[in-house]
Formats: sequence, structure tokens, C-alpha cells
Amino acid sequence: MEINKIIESGLMETYVMGIATKEEVQQVLSLKKEYPAFKEALEQLEYDMEVLAQSMSIEPPAGTLSKIEHEINEIQRRNQAVQTTFEPKYRHEKSEQESSQEKYIQVESESNQMRVNKAWKWIFIAVFVLGKIFLAGAIYFYLENRQAKEQIKELKIELKQKIR
Amino acid sequence: MFKAVSNNPSAEPKDIRWFYDQYAPMLLGYINGIVQNHQKSEEHLVAILTSFVKDVVILQEKSRLNIWLELRQYAQSKLTLFTAKDHQLKPAPPLNKGRLDLLDDLQKQIFCAIYYHGKSISYLAAAIGCDESEIRNQLKLSIDKMRRKSGN
Repeated sequence: MEINKIIESGLMETYVMGIATKEEVQQVLSLKKEYPAFKEALEQLEYDMEVLAQSMSIEPPAGTLSKIEHEINEIQRRNQAVQTTFEPKYRHEKSEQESSQEKYIQVESESNQMRVNKAWKWIFIAVFVLGKIFLAGAIYFYLENRQAKEQIKELKIELKQKIR
Repeated sequence: MFKAVSNNPSAEPKDIRWFYDQYAPMLLGYINGIVQNHQKSEEHLVAILTSFVKDVVILQEKSRLNIWLELRQYAQSKLTLFTAKDHQLKPAPPLNKGRLDLLDDLQKQIFCAIYYHGKSISYLAAAIGCDESEIRNQLKLSIDKMRRKSGN
């Protein structure tokens, strides 16, 4: 009974005419959820408003549709051009996000510079330090070897002198 | 349909044609009721339908209304120059009056001010010099009159 009063109150008409206040809009939405009768009445009113608009319609002149299609195609073409411009940047940003999982060296074909995954920094440091250690080791063993050869040479001379 | 328009280029012409056939005459009648100039109305029709199809993905997600009511409110928002507050309260009747002739002068004045120019209840109450409930009542009566004509 109460819902019929609300339906007859003019609330729905205010809503479909687009002049309802925020509170009224909220009220309509909650009533629509709660009461199937209200929902049905509102949908019928929306449909009738469409029928009313049809009774006041004016046929557009020929060629209007092609104008609209042309405008939409222009907009799409412009959007595609913008997308093409921004796509490489987007791809680069995406690859940076995935870099923690993927270990690869990314090379830009048109640039002289090379972008490298940040994880490679530690690998390069490790390779550098190991290189230094190997170099120091090599020098050490070279000197040791040279010293050992000299000692062998001296011992040989000493041995020859003792035999004589 | 709108998502198909934006995501599937091959489906676009058919969908836009359907949308145009369905709503363009209604929208032109509505715009003409606001603009009161046939030539300008046609120009606005092209601009509004184009931008509605372009913007509609966002709108449809937020929408609580059916497509026509959404489109009508969208058109009204795009024609703010004509629906400004200081616009005259008694506009000339639209080219196609439809069922407006069923209404008396006060009802016609209230209905047109709200339907075409989006005037609020409080604004009309102050402008006409009557109670807000009277404006609501007259609006409901005028809509009921026109609905009855179509058998509802």
C-alpha cells in the first residue's frame, strides 16, 4: 500500500526527468532494489518517456549518418596514431616491471645504447672482482714459478760444481 | 553494443547504424526543442551522437538509466549554452509538438522547462511563484496525461 503511495508521489517522474536530488536518487535506487512493484513501474515510466520522445521525433536529413561515421572514423584514426606513438614507451615500462623475473639483456635496435637488467650490476661486480683475483693469482704463480726455476738453475750449477 | 563499437572495428558500422536509426530522430526532435533552429539542431545532432558513442563506454558502466534517458541527459549537458539558467522560461514550442498539445499552459511551461532545459523544481517554484509540491504535482499530471494518450 505504502509503495503505491510512493509510486504516485511523483518521485519517479522527477528521477526520469533528471532533476532528482542526490537523496531522491538514492531513495529511488534503494526502492528499486527492495520493491519489485516499484522497479516495474519505473521501467514502464522509462519506456513511456522513450515513446513520448518518439512522438516528438524529427527525421534527420539524408547524409547525417555518414557524417557521424566519418567523424567516428577520424577519431579512431587519431586514437590509433596516438597509440602507435606511445606503444614503444609502454612496452619498455612493462619490461622493466617484469625484469625481476626475467633475466635478459634488452637491446633497442635504433639506439647505440644498451639497457641492461639491474641484476647484471652485481654479476659485473663479481666478474670484475674474480678477474682481479685470477690476475693476482696468475702473477703470484708466475713469480713463484720464475723463482722456482731460478732456484733449480742455481741448484744445478751447485751440483755440477760439487761433481767436479 | 558500445563495447563492441569501441573494441571491434568490423562491428562498428552496423552498431552505429542501429543506434542511429533508433535514437537519432528522437534526439533531433529533442535538440530542436532546446535549440529552436533546425539547421543548428542538425549540427548539434552530429556532434552529440559522435561524442556520445566515443564517451559512452564510461557512461554505460556508471549508468543507472536506460540508453535514451542517458542520451537525453548527455545532450542536455552538451547544450548548456541553450539551457543556461537565465534562459527564457517560455521557449517557443518545438517543431514536432507530439503530445504537448494535451497539456494546459502551466503544465506545458513546467514540462518544457524541465524536459528541455533541465530546470530544477525549486527554480521553477520561485520563477512561477508557487509551491514546490505544486510543481511536482503538475509535472506528474502532465506526464500522466501524455502517457495515457499512448494507452498507459
